[in-house]
Amino acid sequence: MRKYWTVFWVNWQNALQYRGPTFISLLGNVLRVVVLLYLWNAIYRGEGRLGDYSLSDLITYYLLQMVINSIVLSYSSWEIVDQIREGTFSNFLVRPVNYLHYSFMINFSWKLFEGAMVLAAVGVLSFFLLPYITLPSRPETIFFFILALILGGFLSFAFDFAIGLLAFWLVQANAFKYMLQYIIFFFAGALLPLDLFPPLFQTVAKVLPFRYLVFFPIQIFLEKEPHPVEGLLAAALWGIGLYFFLQFVLRRGIARYEAVGQ
Amino acid sequence: MKRWVNKGARTMVRYLSLYRSFLTHNLKNEMIYRANFAIAVVMDIFFMGVNVVFFAILYANVETIGGWNFHQTMVLVGSVGVVREIAYLTFRQGFLELGEYIRTGRFDAMLTAPMAPNAHLAFRHVSLTESLGEGLMGLALVGYGFAHLPEAAWSSIPFYLVMLINSLLIYYAFCLMINSAVFWLVKSQELNTVVYYFIDTARYPREIYRGMGKAFFTFIVPSSLIATTPAAILTGRANGELVILSLGVAAVLLSLGLAVWNWSLQHYSSASS
Repeated sequence: MRKYWTVFWVNWQNALQYRGPTFISLLGNVLRVVVLLYLWNAIYRGEGRLGDYSLSDLITYYLLQMVINSIVLSYSSWEIVDQIREGTFSNFLVRPVNYLHYSFMINFSWKLFEGAMVLAAVGVLSFFLLPYITLPSRPETIFFFILALILGGFLSFAFDFAIGLLAFWLVQANAFKYMLQYIIFFFAGALLPLDLFPPLFQTVAKVLPFRYLVFFPIQIFLEKEPHPVEGLLAAALWGIGLYFFLQFVLRRGIARYEAVGQ
Repeated sequence: MKRWVNKGARTMVRYLSLYRSFLTHNLKNEMIYRANFAIAVVMDIFFMGVNVVFFAILYANVETIGGWNFHQTMVLVGSVGVVREIAYLTFRQGFLELGEYIRTGRFDAMLTAPMAPNAHLAFRHVSLTESLGEGLMGLALVGYGFAHLPEAAWSSIPFYLVMLINSLLIYYAFCLMINSAVFWLVKSQELNTVVYYFIDTARYPREIYRGMGKAFFTFIVPSSLIATTPAAILTGRANGELVILSLGVAAVLLSLGLAVWNWSLQHYSSASS
């Protein structure tokens, strides 16, 4: 276990070097969310209404979505695809580390670093938007919410790791990767709350596990989720299942690995 | 006076012929990778499709957004796609690669070549296919919206095209300004994330903004003008004020962008020499 904490600390130092760039991409993200807040405001000003959501519910939804974007959603596949395609993945074959655990620690340190930055940004935004924020009324909500974020983080990493492993089978995996990531993003509820979808899409979204990344934690926070405990258990089961699945796929991938370029 | 005009015309012709050689060269390059091209087009159409779904879901709940109905919004969304495609055909890709040129010192060659560095950067990697799916889908959406709007007039098309070019200039000026920071950061990926969000947020009508936000998205991050102005013209929603504002912002921002860029160039410290 200690070696993985070393991986964590080394990458934490590495992440700290990218304060400037991370801050700038965060600004871009703030821009995106602020525009959406104006969009919802315009709709509600015009007497429009989206589903069961009040204006403050929606504003809270997107502020939380921004936090989740940084803390939960994983982009590990970028590095994984590069390492497999360029052959640097070979280094991991001779090291006494499990690539899944190694990538998880790298992802974990990035997410903590980005999380710290996004919390500062959302803190500032919330200060201006305070009258428009829906806060939980029950204390256990916060506890469930944090649990849901942690499970969401595990699941998001697992999905993105799986996408990264596609590089063992596909030489040019990037376009496919973007589309898969966006499908996950969409069915996670990052673009729009899932209960605003047309009935057919809603059914699909309910079956898929992606809703545990974004929609489910936010519903808990807004206290709109009728079965938080069942949901948390289901997410945990998905996490355990995916862990064994990924270890299996990783072994298959290594058997196929050709060490291109090395 | 006449001498200046002559000189300007000669420069223009020279840059057009330079652009043509860069374009031919890049097209030949792109044609080698046909599979990539097909994938890129499919991916673009997919992403534009998601945008359409997004608005379709919103319009299932509301009649208008900021006064724009669904078909008018389709012209708006489509216009962003068209602007993006023309941008890739003229300047966008260069900015995405700028960080790499600077890190490796290859930017030296651009400074010494007998053409303006910003033009060289723009033309070096013009791409037809990078955003072609978006452009085609954009055109289709504009056409679809246009066909469903009784108030849309054919006579507005030339004016629409003029304002599209004006939007392109605003886009270019914004890219120049943001990317000027690369000479300090030596990394351009995150800067271009900001540019990405800038153009990505252009698909919402300008009317959603109020107060400070309106000023911000007009003068500082002028994304509210990029698609709204041309789309407003095509859908018969435009007024003189909006057009003059867009033209003015383009002129001021472009002068400012070029000034900031040229000033920043002096902070370039070559990596290779």
